Amino acid sequence: MAMSEKLIQLEHLKTYFPLQKTLTGKVRAWIKAVDDVSLTLQTGECLGLVGESGCGKSTLGRTVLRLVGHTAGTIRFKDAEIQGLNKPAFQPFRPKMQMVFQDPRASLNPKMTVLQIISEALAICSGVDRGQYAQRATELLDMVDLRPEHLFRYPHEFSGGQQQRICIARALATQPEFIVFDEATSALDVSVQAQIIHLMADLQKQLHLTYLFISHDLSIMEHICHRVAVMYAGRIMEVQDADALFSAPLHPYTKALRDAVPIADPTRRDGMAVLEGEVPSLVEPPDGCRFHPRCPYATQVCRQKAPDAVRIKSGNWVRCHHHSELQDKKMLAVAG
Amino acid sequence: MENQDFKILARKALADHRLARGYKLRLFLKKKLAVFATFVLFLIVLSAIFAPWVAPYPDQGKGEINLEERLQPFSKTHLLGTDIYGRDLLSRVIYGGRVSVFGGIFIVVMAALIGVPLGLWAGYQEGVSGTIIMRTVELVLSFPSALVAMGVSIVIGAGSMTALVALIIPWWPWYTRLVQGEVLSIKHMLYIEAAQMLGYGRIYILFRHLLPNILAPVVVMMLLDVGPAIIAIGVLSFLGLGTQPPHADWGLMVWNGSQNLLGEWWIAIVPGFAMFLLVTVFNIFGDTLKDILDPNQS
Amino acid sequence: MHMKTPPPTPVLSVKDLTVDFKGPRGTARILEGIEFGLFPGEILALVGETGCGKSITAKSILDLIPLRSLHRTGTVSFEGLDLFSLDHSEFRSIRGRSIAMIFQNPQSSINPVFTLGEQMYRLIRMYLKNEIDAVCQHQGLNKKAAIGEIAREKLAEVGLTETDRLLKSYAHEISGGMAQRYKIAQALLSSPEILIADEATSALDVTVQAHILKLLKQMSHKKGTTILFITHDLGIAAQICDRVAVMYAGRIVEIGNTMDIFQTPLHPYTRGLLESVPKLGYSETLQYVSGMIPDLVNPPRGCRFHPRCAHKMTHCEEQRPMNTTSADHHTVACHLYSR
Repeated sequence: MAMSEKLIQLEHLKTYFPLQKTLTGKVRAWIKAVDDVSLTLQTGECLGLVGESGCGKSTLGRTVLRLVGHTAGTIRFKDAEIQGLNKPAFQPFRPKMQMVFQDPRASLNPKMTVLQIISEALAICSGVDRGQYAQRATELLDMVDLRPEHLFRYPHEFSGGQQQRICIARALATQPEFIVFDEATSALDVSVQAQIIHLMADLQKQLHLTYLFISHDLSIMEHICHRVAVMYAGRIMEVQDADALFSAPLHPYTKALRDAVPIADPTRRDGMAVLEGEVPSLVEPPDGCRFHPRCPYATQVCRQKAPDAVRIKSGNWVRCHHHSELQDKKMLAVAG
Repeated sequence: MENQDFKILARKALADHRLARGYKLRLFLKKKLAVFATFVLFLIVLSAIFAPWVAPYPDQGKGEINLEERLQPFSKTHLLGTDIYGRDLLSRVIYGGRVSVFGGIFIVVMAALIGVPLGLWAGYQEGVSGTIIMRTVELVLSFPSALVAMGVSIVIGAGSMTALVALIIPWWPWYTRLVQGEVLSIKHMLYIEAAQMLGYGRIYILFRHLLPNILAPVVVMMLLDVGPAIIAIGVLSFLGLGTQPPHADWGLMVWNGSQNLLGEWWIAIVPGFAMFLLVTVFNIFGDTLKDILDPNQS
Repeated sequence: MHMKTPPPTPVLSVKDLTVDFKGPRGTARILEGIEFGLFPGEILALVGETGCGKSITAKSILDLIPLRSLHRTGTVSFEGLDLFSLDHSEFRSIRGRSIAMIFQNPQSSINPVFTLGEQMYRLIRMYLKNEIDAVCQHQGLNKKAAIGEIAREKLAEVGLTETDRLLKSYAHEISGGMAQRYKIAQALLSSPEILIADEATSALDVTVQAHILKLLKQMSHKKGTTILFITHDLGIAAQICDRVAVMYAGRIVEIGNTMDIFQTPLHPYTRGLLESVPKLGYSETLQYVSGMIPDLVNPPRGCRFHPRCAHKMTHCEEQRPMNTTSADHHTVACHLYSR
């Protein structure tokens, strides 16, 4: 890999949605979906973003692409600040950052053929002129293992896996540098998911893409991500290299998440442990460390003060007051 | 890929899709009632278009009086009898059909042309403009449509064209309401988000993505509205607010004939039956089409 | 881990269940020759991917599919009784009472118009008349208070707290995890012999899922309830189930003890499926089975898996493989093993 530059930089990013307004329009309560997130994505890497429902990960993905308006903080694409740009100024960035959504069937207009869908994406990419659309669309389909005759079919004529490939082809049409996958494999069957993951990995290598892979499924992260960020209640709790994340998580929530996943191996039944409590509300998150009400290691300081990010090594950090002693005592390592 | 291969593929795909659409046609043809109704509808529409050639007494159809033969029942020379001015009822019905058929279609199409874009905007944009549109819709709908039409008619003057305009006014809000509801339900679909992500503007998304996907219920509503529109024209004419004499109009004819209901009953019943027939076949046609196009709609 | 050989009399026995669905494109055989037994106290996983027929199998057992375009043959015997031969009222006394079911979306299966309490009380009045009387006598309460007491107790059993508040809530006011616990409490009210869980945890977060799976296992041990767990998640099968049945394109291709299925999978589809499941802590490349699930209107002749099978023989295209069972009750339907 060539010298890595920082492709995406998020600094203190916040996305709040108004929940209640008084009669005068003043907002009384906010849904703090993304609450002070700072992340950096290196060119060519696949960063995983994992968390349970309501943690804000989808909102984060959409905020980075400006599908949803941010409330505070900065978003940088190759050192250029993009969060405050108006529509025409932001337009040149759009082709470079694309998204693949969760439900492939809902992502494709049922009344348009595949050719029309891809042409619509090609139309905003300045390099291609109209006569070339069919040619380019055929090439894109070939990249995702679909055939030219599929151009003339409608989305409902395809299986879920094929539909997702069409969505990937559409995302590639604008020659992006950065793609956000928002639960892109969650709606697919296991074997289809494996096919799509393979495809994504191949494409990343071939086209030098950078990925943000959002999912609630921890198990899949290992197979495609270089680093993984764990999100909880609007904040990032930990970012680590993927292989280290599972064997030696830095944050108690990561451990709880990992322990809750049912492993497809009946010889390892001891692993599944249960985390008490409920996912916190994004309107009134707990004070101090967001995870403290459910954390088996929480102490007084955790209830009062939100932990700062502590750097472990390049690209790896954690937000936990007790992370060093938990590491020393190996409290979070894999059981057995 | 070769341009040649491409054309072959395109042609084959088109053939495949025609085959799939042909399936829907076959389904329609299986329902004998619908086929018969469509046939009758076809006849009525054709006779309306070619009235001068189809009607046996075109001038009488247009209004020429023929006092010697007045009030005659069904006979060989006048298949459906004559009215109080001696005019051949069959010709009158055919000419009257022009107002009803084209008037009915005109009202529905205009109501849709006004109501649908407003509904698209109100549904997608919401906000202040959306609220203004929807409140206007509710305002118009809160008045009984008959009264609104009559009121407008009186204000702008009676006549066949003005009657049509008067009827469009209470009619368009139904389309806005329908479309707004449909838009709200698909507004958050991911393919809309995908188009937004590519940077396409509101107008493009409204017409390229939203409109095609809400068209089916709109078409169904239009088809099923033609019948009521025809009746509404008839009612206005019956009240004297529509077509003015001597032009032929079913509603007007019913009013004329209502005075002789006990004696020369055919003068009122024949045009009334014509209205009934047209509305029924339009409804059967529309209903069957609805079952095929949008089977999930109750 | 040593698995006991199951006792010979199943509490539920499905034999040769075949369901045809007549649609616009033709008749699809969505289930063919489904055959398995449920033994008392066990947890059996019915696994497979979308469209394999696992949900339809469960719904057929409880006669929950609209019969308009369906044609069904075969038998389902529950404690010796042929369920399909019962009339409506006889079946209703079994459905819900002796065989209960919980579904994927718990909040949608609670009536939104009534409070949780109202729905619970009704069921208690229906199934637990004896218990109501007992509580009235022992605790000197009137009927209404007794019912309330029992409701609170049942909710606490499934790990729900703040039961008073919960009983006054509506479906949309509670979380998915709470709703599913509530549904489990409801399902177990009548102490059914069998509980069918149809993708009961698929819509829940993974930490909530862990709770529910643990709860189900506890309930099964405590009350001896047999559970038929339908899922696409092989992890769930591995963690809490005693036996696993693998379905593909409307047929059961393999069935056996969990350990046997995972450690010595016999059917090529089972093997392919296991290799494509991402397992935490193992980062070998994911394999996958090439091809797609077949069109059930025109399924492949013979074995339905042969177009995707690496071990295909000519025999496979012609004849449907019959079941071969080994000594430790590991059954597979594949020509590789039928000689």
